[in-house]
Amino acid sequence: MRLTAPFVIAGLAVVAAPAVAQDNEPRVVVRDVVHTARAGAYQGRNNGPEQTERFSRKVKIGRDGRFTLSNISGDIVVTAGGGDEVSIDAIKRTRGDKGELGRVQILIDDRAGRVDVRTEHEQNRTDRNRGDHVSVDYTVTVPASVSVDVHSVSGAVKVTGVHGSLRAETVSGDVTINDAPRLEAAKTVSGDVSLTGVTADGDLSAASVSGNVRAKGLKARGLDLGSVSGDISVTDVTCERLGVKTVSGGVEYAGGIAKGGRYEINAHSGTVRLQLTNPAGFELTANSFSGSIRSELPLTIGGDAGRQRDSGSRGRRDSMNNHAMRATFGDGSATLVVRTFSGDIIITKR
Amino acid sequence: MHPSDTALNDFIDGTLGAAERLEVEQHLAGCAVCRQTVDDLREILRAIGEAEPLDAPVRAWSRLERAIRMEREDVAVPGSHGIASRERQGDGGGRQRGSRQALSPWVPWLAAAAALVLAVAIGMRYVPARHVDVAETGAPAAAGEAALSVETELRQAEAHYENAIKGLEAIANSEQSELDPRTAATLQKNLAVIDQAISESRAAVRAQPASEPAQQSLIDGFKTKIGLLQDTVALINEMRKGNEAGAARIASGLKQKGT
Amino acid sequence: MTVDLVARIQSGDVDAFETLYRQHSARIYTLASRMAGSAEDGEDLLQEIFLQAYRKVGSFKGDSALGTWLYRLALNHCLDFVRSRQAKMNKLTETLDAETSIEPTARRETPIARLDLERAVERLPEGCREAFVLHDVEGFDHKEVADLLGIAEGTSKSQVFKARLKLRGFLRGK
Repeated sequence: MRLTAPFVIAGLAVVAAPAVAQDNEPRVVVRDVVHTARAGAYQGRNNGPEQTERFSRKVKIGRDGRFTLSNISGDIVVTAGGGDEVSIDAIKRTRGDKGELGRVQILIDDRAGRVDVRTEHEQNRTDRNRGDHVSVDYTVTVPASVSVDVHSVSGAVKVTGVHGSLRAETVSGDVTINDAPRLEAAKTVSGDVSLTGVTADGDLSAASVSGNVRAKGLKARGLDLGSVSGDISVTDVTCERLGVKTVSGGVEYAGGIAKGGRYEINAHSGTVRLQLTNPAGFELTANSFSGSIRSELPLTIGGDAGRQRDSGSRGRRDSMNNHAMRATFGDGSATLVVRTFSGDIIITKR
Repeated sequence: MHPSDTALNDFIDGTLGAAERLEVEQHLAGCAVCRQTVDDLREILRAIGEAEPLDAPVRAWSRLERAIRMEREDVAVPGSHGIASRERQGDGGGRQRGSRQALSPWVPWLAAAAALVLAVAIGMRYVPARHVDVAETGAPAAAGEAALSVETELRQAEAHYENAIKGLEAIANSEQSELDPRTAATLQKNLAVIDQAISESRAAVRAQPASEPAQQSLIDGFKTKIGLLQDTVALINEMRKGNEAGAARIASGLKQKGT
Repeated sequence: MTVDLVARIQSGDVDAFETLYRQHSARIYTLASRMAGSAEDGEDLLQEIFLQAYRKVGSFKGDSALGTWLYRLALNHCLDFVRSRQAKMNKLTETLDAETSIEPTARRETPIARLDLERAVERLPEGCREAFVLHDVEGFDHKEVADLLGIAEGTSKSQVFKARLKLRGFLRGK
């Protein structure tokens, strides 16, 4: 909804752009504002010196509380700390007119056990190309056990040490997660996702559309990683179930195979490379329509596999050819299913 | 004279009459082959009875949750008995994101699109493997039927997926202005990547209709495309809600001041 | 705790619904995969079942346990799926029954490996697989299986027995 006519609202208290922390009312703060003209009038000045305005607030939350942050433009960094309050530090930045900073509001809604923070730009985004060019970078500390849900649109998200349930999403920007045992989703559209250093006893899920997804040095019950055109890499990961999917990206898996685990890797045209370290026994089903399959691991071809729905070599006595391989390694307790359309599948020892 | 398979099974189930049971027991005492059969069957029943349930794939919850979140947007659906109408009846606490905002008329499409896609995925599961099994038993007439059946089923599956895709595309395209141009471009580019994959798979299926990898990759391609379109629509919806929230605040701010 | 969970789910709490999912998804996924004959179909059915549960939980009256209600919903859904696919597949079922080439899944003696078992169940032909799952896994008697599948009681018994022997063939190479 656009305000199409320039206007001045008379009789409002003019609130000067504060250089100090805002007041400490616990309720939703809706700021009165002064519109002096359409943003268009100020478009000339977008590359001046950076103007900033700082914001700082501490809000009690309680250990089982829930913290959400919704930002539009700007980075978010969340770190776990002790105590029972959320500490929010934000910097509004612009290279345009300093007055624009006042038109971007940081709203905090605080109720029992919940703290919700939201950045709101009054020049809304239907006017995107002539927006206010204000970004807000947040640095937040939360008690480690709090559950967290953060969202930016254009900006990176980085979360470390949050042990409550965690969702971290952005549209254009990287997502970096460290030590988050209850990560539910880490997602971006154009940006990379990186998961490290977590021991989780549940399922972790991470996805990008055009960026890469990397999981490294972690342990989880189930891991689900996906991209469309980006690469997926899984290094030194221990999990019982793995699902990896990409369309035009490649896949690298470097690590072990857990006893009885289930691993499924699916790529359309990218190459799938498995570098296995001391794997427990597994049964491999590798299929490609036109990609080639090679393995330097000593595998027993055929073995105990039996026929499966997704075999490409139906009816042939030998379960190995250029585009299909069914083989057993060791006791065959784990299941490894690798499917591509045209990408090659390469299995090596690490 | 060995007991019939039926008799052995009845024996295992304990549903034989006393006299017959005695006969079987006496036979088993002297017949290793039948003893093995009975032992094997008992072992199978024991194993299946004791088997712990297998965990669902990790991605299953994310997909389900996305579908549920889409449903939750749909507070305007009349006559629904589920969660949505209860929300409207006033759950009191908990401000749901967007649930009190005025939603544009196309939002019900979201839930419908989500439901449609799931229904498509279930209903149009064709079974190429079994058809190929039939071909291998060397019954030529059945094989011909089977091949035809695969073609038909595949085409039906394609049609249903394509309908779901068109519905989602319609929403995505009409509301794309909610997204910034770079994001819209990234999404378009990746949809093109998926389309490329789909067309390669389709060509492969035409060239080798019996190839399971070809069929599988085609279906995978459709599902991936639908997934990306759903995500695009969900993203547009988020942006729109954000816009409306902002606009609503501005409007309510103005109203308070009596302008 | 369950009463509270139901109330929370009915009021739209997605986290509570996730708890329900976590409690029951494995059981339902396993049931659906076996009934449908593939893990992939099982996964899709799992989605549909829980989505349906989400929509219908408003009508849950509490006259049974929530898990029981969910199981019944899942079972009905699986049966619908099987029935509608059966209708399409009718022509081919008989030829499948004549299948002669059976590649054994395992040559080991007892115990049977878990995954071999699941795969063997998935490979069972339509008709006898569902009867087997309902009778030997889920514990319904032949009369109940007959009602659920719309077949005669005698057919249920013969299908279950056939399934057992086929499984034996897959698993033991005999």
